[in-house]
Amino acid sequence: MSDATKSYKSFDAASLLPGGASIHRLSALMTLLLLVVGFALSSQAFFSVNNGLTILLQTSVIGLLGIGMTMVIITGGIDLSVGSVLALSGVVSALAVKAGLPVVPAMGCGILAGAACGAFNGLVITRLRIPPFVATLGMMLIARGLALQITGAVPISGLGNAFGILGNGALFRMVEMRPNGFPKVIFPGIPYPAILLLIVAIAGAYLLHRRQIGRHIFATGSNEEASRLSGVRVDRTKLYAYTISGALAGLAGNVLMSRLVTAQPSEGVMYELDAIAAAVIGGASLSGGVGTISGTMIGAFIIGILRNGLNMSGVSAFIQQIVIGLVVIGAVWIDQIRNRP
Amino acid sequence: MSQTPLVEMIDIEKHFGGIRAVDHVSVDLREGEVVGLLGHNGAGKSCLMRILSGAMAPSGGEIRIRGEAVHFSEPNDARDMGVETIYQTLALADHLDAPANLFLGRELKTRFGNLDDKAMLKAAREVLARLNPNFKNLHDPVSSLSGGQRQVIAIARAIYFDTKVLIMDEPTAALGPSETAMVAGLIKELRSAGIGIFLVSHDIHDVFDLCDRVVVMNKGRLVGSHHIDEVSKDDVLSLIVKGELPMDWSARNLKAAQ
Ligand SMILES: Nc1ncnc2c1ncn2[C@@H]1O[C@H](COP(=O)(O)OP(=O)(O)O)[C@@H](O)[C@H]1O
Ligand SMILES: [Mg+2]
Repeated sequence: MSDATKSYKSFDAASLLPGGASIHRLSALMTLLLLVVGFALSSQAFFSVNNGLTILLQTSVIGLLGIGMTMVIITGGIDLSVGSVLALSGVVSALAVKAGLPVVPAMGCGILAGAACGAFNGLVITRLRIPPFVATLGMMLIARGLALQITGAVPISGLGNAFGILGNGALFRMVEMRPNGFPKVIFPGIPYPAILLLIVAIAGAYLLHRRQIGRHIFATGSNEEASRLSGVRVDRTKLYAYTISGALAGLAGNVLMSRLVTAQPSEGVMYELDAIAAAVIGGASLSGGVGTISGTMIGAFIIGILRNGLNMSGVSAFIQQIVIGLVVIGAVWIDQIRNRP
Repeated sequence: MSQTPLVEMIDIEKHFGGIRAVDHVSVDLREGEVVGLLGHNGAGKSCLMRILSGAMAPSGGEIRIRGEAVHFSEPNDARDMGVETIYQTLALADHLDAPANLFLGRELKTRFGNLDDKAMLKAAREVLARLNPNFKNLHDPVSSLSGGQRQVIAIARAIYFDTKVLIMDEPTAALGPSETAMVAGLIKELRSAGIGIFLVSHDIHDVFDLCDRVVVMNKGRLVGSHHIDEVSKDDVLSLIVKGELPMDWSARNLKAAQ
């Protein structure tokens, strides 16, 4: 079975776990390993349990955004609004908590707000025939403006402990009380955001490879006119993809704001670039029709570890920007080479 | 043949701005009939056929299937009435493989609503083998297949389902001689099964070999519709090029009738 086919059909271990026949994914995986080894050598603290958790959290936000981005990119589109939508969703959840809603329904409101932004993107793209780049660039400003407007640009804090559970809690965490009254963590557990990412990744891969909508997402990005003539509801397919992307940006926003236990309306600037880079590094093609969730997961870890490792090695934030910028260009360049006949 | 025609296209119009791509054209098609649609590039053949396949909305006119007026707002509406199309562009999704293309838009599903790739593969293997016994590349993206193999997939997709009317827009354009012969054989087989076929072509010889009737378009207008016995290739050529029959046609035809 050729690789291109595998990418949209198989929903087995290889479509979730790294590996499989994909040379591209393999090389991405090698890059990931090299990064880990390099950073481990250059910084002692990099390989600590605590730092591992930090990376996992950072990666889960990029990963959640990346899964939605992958679906949009496979349709042949792009979603530049996810960073702003993330902020708006987190802010909406926080305001809902402040309005007296319990945490779970409040976060539901935030995710719904994200889905609504995504649906708006989809409608602008399919109804008004505005190119995805422009439509989502508009939403990038709209969502950010809304987040700043409804909060007066002031972070919302004092959200209570329950709001922080999603971002800070962990499964199977074992804590022992020391005689001196301080707790000692025996086993840090599996952070909820990592579990959430795994669940969403499995669900996303299932949707893409086992359901009709997934097949239509690939078909639309592969040849939109052919898909339309074949009876695929191309507009509805795109609407789904952008709505999913918006909803996942909302979910990522809740994870991030819960981690901070504060809703920051200015959070998530430029996150769309991390998500795009994750998808493209993982093998998604900006010309549409190609992409995998497993690849994007590897890409998300590469970006997450790169950012974290640069931080740990004391590289300044300015230099970090330059590096990530070069990585994005490099990833898209590789994509271009791949698509050359 | 006094029964109602399978397809009637009545006074169909299509304009793009000032261009009259289809200009008040009426044609019909009966069961088991092969109608050749001829004309220069840009004569409006594809537009007329796209209107019948639901891919393009007409600016005016009416379509009837078995005497009943129908309104196709998308390709699936036409397919639901048994109107299947092999598009000139083939309309294949390059990154998908043959079975996925064959069932695109009409995927088979399991009891739980998941894609039934096994069943689609099995069906694809059967129908493709019928058209080309050497077709093996069922798992490759169709972008990696030859022009002929791609054409076979497009044909398979149009005959696999419950087809009543088949529109073939330049079906042999990408084919070699043996594949062209296969298509010719297929057309005869489908005709004897009672399927009505519109065969769009610019190859006059194909049309004379396979068709019962020729319909000629010129600059968007219908300039002739004749039984294959009442015209010669030169007559049809004149229709295609000049938009009219040669001066001596009616005299010759009268003589032939006597
Ligand atoms: N989507 C379109 N938009 C504008 N003009 C079109 C479109 N499709 C076809 N035309 C024009 O309509 C005319 C008929 O085209 P077509 O039906 O493709 O011709 P044929 O199939 O006979 O070669 C041509 O002049 C063509 O340029
Ligand atoms: Mg044509």
